[in-house]
Amino acid sequence: MMKTTALALAVLCAAVLLGGLLSGIDRRLTARLQSRQGPPLIQPFLDVIKLMAKERMVTNPWQAFSPVASLAAAAVALVLFALQGDLLVILFVHMVGGVFLVLGAMASPSPYSQTASQRELWQMLSCETLLFLIAGALYLTTGSFRLSELSALPEPLLYRLPLLFAAFFFALTVKMRKSPFDLAGCHHAHQELVRGVFTEYVGPYLGLLEIAHWLEVMLYLAICSLFWATDAKGMILLPLAVFFAVIVLDNVAARLTWRWMLGWGWGASFILSAFNLFWLKG
Amino acid sequence: MSEAILVVLIIVPFLAALACLLIRSSACRSFIVIATVAGLAVSSLLLQGPLAPDAGMRWAGIIDPVITGGDFLLLAIMFFLGCRYRNFLIIMLTASQLGLFAWLEFFVFAEDQGPALFAADALSLILVRVVCTVGGLICLHAIPYMQAHEQHQNLARSRQPQFFAVLLLFLGAMNGLVLTNHLAHFYFFFELTTLCSFLLIAHDRTEEAVGNALTALWMNGAGGLLLLLAIWGLYSQSAQLDMNGLVAATAGKPAALLPLSLLVLAAFTKSAQLPWQKWLLGAMVAPTPTSALLHSSTMVKAGVYLALRFAPAFAHTLLAQGLMLAGGFTFFAAAALAIGQRNAKKVLAYSTISNLGLIFACAGIGTPGAVAAGILLILFHAVSKGLLFLCVGTAEQQVHSRDIEVMRGLCAQMPFTGMIAVLGMLTIIVPPFGMLLGKWLVFEAGADHIVFYLMLVLGSSFTLLYWVRLAGTLLASGQTTGFKPEIKPFLTRFPLAALGCGAGLLGLAAPILYARLLVPLTSLFPGGRAFSAGRGGVLTTAVGSFPLIVVFAVAALIGLLALSGVSKAMVGRKGTAYMSGANAGLPDHFVGPLNRPVRAVVENAYLAPLFGEERWTLWLNLAAAGLLLFILGGALWK
Repeated sequence: MMKTTALALAVLCAAVLLGGLLSGIDRRLTARLQSRQGPPLIQPFLDVIKLMAKERMVTNPWQAFSPVASLAAAAVALVLFALQGDLLVILFVHMVGGVFLVLGAMASPSPYSQTASQRELWQMLSCETLLFLIAGALYLTTGSFRLSELSALPEPLLYRLPLLFAAFFFALTVKMRKSPFDLAGCHHAHQELVRGVFTEYVGPYLGLLEIAHWLEVMLYLAICSLFWATDAKGMILLPLAVFFAVIVLDNVAARLTWRWMLGWGWGASFILSAFNLFWLKG
Repeated sequence: MSEAILVVLIIVPFLAALACLLIRSSACRSFIVIATVAGLAVSSLLLQGPLAPDAGMRWAGIIDPVITGGDFLLLAIMFFLGCRYRNFLIIMLTASQLGLFAWLEFFVFAEDQGPALFAADALSLILVRVVCTVGGLICLHAIPYMQAHEQHQNLARSRQPQFFAVLLLFLGAMNGLVLTNHLAHFYFFFELTTLCSFLLIAHDRTEEAVGNALTALWMNGAGGLLLLLAIWGLYSQSAQLDMNGLVAATAGKPAALLPLSLLVLAAFTKSAQLPWQKWLLGAMVAPTPTSALLHSSTMVKAGVYLALRFAPAFAHTLLAQGLMLAGGFTFFAAAALAIGQRNAKKVLAYSTISNLGLIFACAGIGTPGAVAAGILLILFHAVSKGLLFLCVGTAEQQVHSRDIEVMRGLCAQMPFTGMIAVLGMLTIIVPPFGMLLGKWLVFEAGADHIVFYLMLVLGSSFTLLYWVRLAGTLLASGQTTGFKPEIKPFLTRFPLAALGCGAGLLGLAAPILYARLLVPLTSLFPGGRAFSAGRGGVLTTAVGSFPLIVVFAVAALIGLLALSGVSKAMVGRKGTAYMSGANAGLPDHFVGPLNRPVRAVVENAYLAPLFGEERWTLWLNLAAAGLLLFILGGALWK
């Protein structure tokens, strides 16, 4: 019990540090791609610290509930992942974060956060379904939903799940709120919906959501590492490669509409994933 | 002891119904309802299974003729209703049932009894408790609700006596249906619930109410005919009417597949599965207690009960495959239709249909784990859905609309009802609450079947979407004052609070219940993977595990922490929603042309072209009917 608790705490600390750092790298890299100098690597941490020190202010008290629940869900999901738990349970717990993010955003009468909430729901739908299909593929390959069974595989999952990996890339772009799918709230407050679902969260609440976002991205990268779970090098290099690919895509692509995301992006990804599942079984 | 409890569970509701009908004083009626409900709830909790095999046997000489006579009476009443409303379908269906039943009763069924009249296994015990406690709470909630309901109607003579009589009768009929082990008696109770639902739906006597009640009557009449045909077929296979005996005798017999598939189709009509959903959607015109009762603890649960009860007989056949696909399809299709709905009650209705599809699919998968998951889903669904119907009904009486957009910001107007409704919705979609645990168990049990798994993934993501959207809409308001619960009668608040606690906490019992359910099921469904479930508060299946106690504890801790944050936010400085810097002083207004305040109106995206029922119902029904034909054809093929 003590050991588990210590492991959980260590994982969370590492995830927060790494997640923040990745966000810093992202900003720096994006700046360089745009011929700017960019902020220091630790800027995301400084931002969050500053946000946490600000005054608590809400337009509806339930907005104070959501960030805490959202952060907790991301943290529990990550810990369960580190403990090699059941992937379905991890996904269900992770879902809670999105649910509360939307509930808090919808609790305000602001037209920006309301409209963005609708888009966020479609984004959640897109991500969740694809992740559940990855869980299904895990089951079909190892005969179990437990992550602990994965390391026994003879070859990386990526060889058997190429189409699902492509679908996962789509889900990651959506989850990281990167172009072309930064529809429900991007990192810059100058899109047509201001900051989308984050518009009405201020001060410490926004800070908590920022940390929750780092943890969620870390969870997605961890899921990405499952595609190469047979050796440690692959488990680190594959997620990093995918992460950089997302950032490059963010800088070269323009935002698409949510219709395009749902129709072409998600539709195609879902069908490809289904094909992959059938091949796996057959 | 158990015989006395059986009398309380089955006979007392009938007597109480009669008393409600005869005594017209409203205080007496309330007393009778409260006393009956309390008695039912206590006895259902006291009932222990398995019952002695001779339970009720010494009265078999009375029970049998009474029920047979009751059958003829019921069919005659339905025939009369068909004639009175000149509904040709009902006349045809009841006449053919009457003829078939008379022929079976007088010329086919032999006199000898099966080994037991009543039986109570884990499935029946859970369902009886659901009927008596959740159904009972709904009856309590109905007492103040119906008083308010009749105030709008200006009736010369109160129609509440009939209403409460039918409610109590319904509970008795459900108890009988669940506890009987005699297939012909089951048919009687099955028909009785059909008649009760007709009376409840038609209660307001408006043209629409009567029309929808007639739809319910003919569709369930078709279900009754299918059931009767199935009984005939099953009897001709093994010459007995003992339900447990029939399950054992027909298992693995290809010739029994045809009657079993008719049985499944009958269950489909009762549970309003696609393409039979019309009657349940139409039932929404009735007062809220009716829809709450039909959807959560009675009526539709009779169908899934029948399928789960007979699941061992058709496990791992083509019929089971078809049932799994049809159930999965309904789960997905009804969830998709719910997305396109802006009528709150219809969202609830589609959600019921969708969840029942999931339970049917469990019966189709036919492993011990899947069937146990189905039984748990019956329990959790009844509690959460009963709660939501009562909440929406309470809200509807205040806002006079079922439109989700009219209910926007309900939590500000009615904090108590609104917050309990949001909690109820969360218990359906979020771990560690019961419904999600059940769904997780189905995911784990059904992942071997890819097509089913795809439907499961889509359906459950759709489910998440429409519940979050509805909950968020109820929360949406710029009001930041303290939490002051609205004043409501005790009998309105108590059922809401009790069901709210049940929905929130029952999930904790899932590991124990699941482990207990699995033991008898493993002997009924051979071939499943062996595993030990429910140790140390961890919900374990053959292929995964859910550390429930830990997640529950963390969730409770975080919930308290977040709530203390909410109470701090309530006293802190209030912000206003962002209106591009042009706020007009009111929470959701901005400064418009001529410096006038304009309200910023936002509505949810219901995406009617993508998910609208007008567009898709026909095609989805055709697809579902195709799957049903597949089930029938598969049975005939052998």
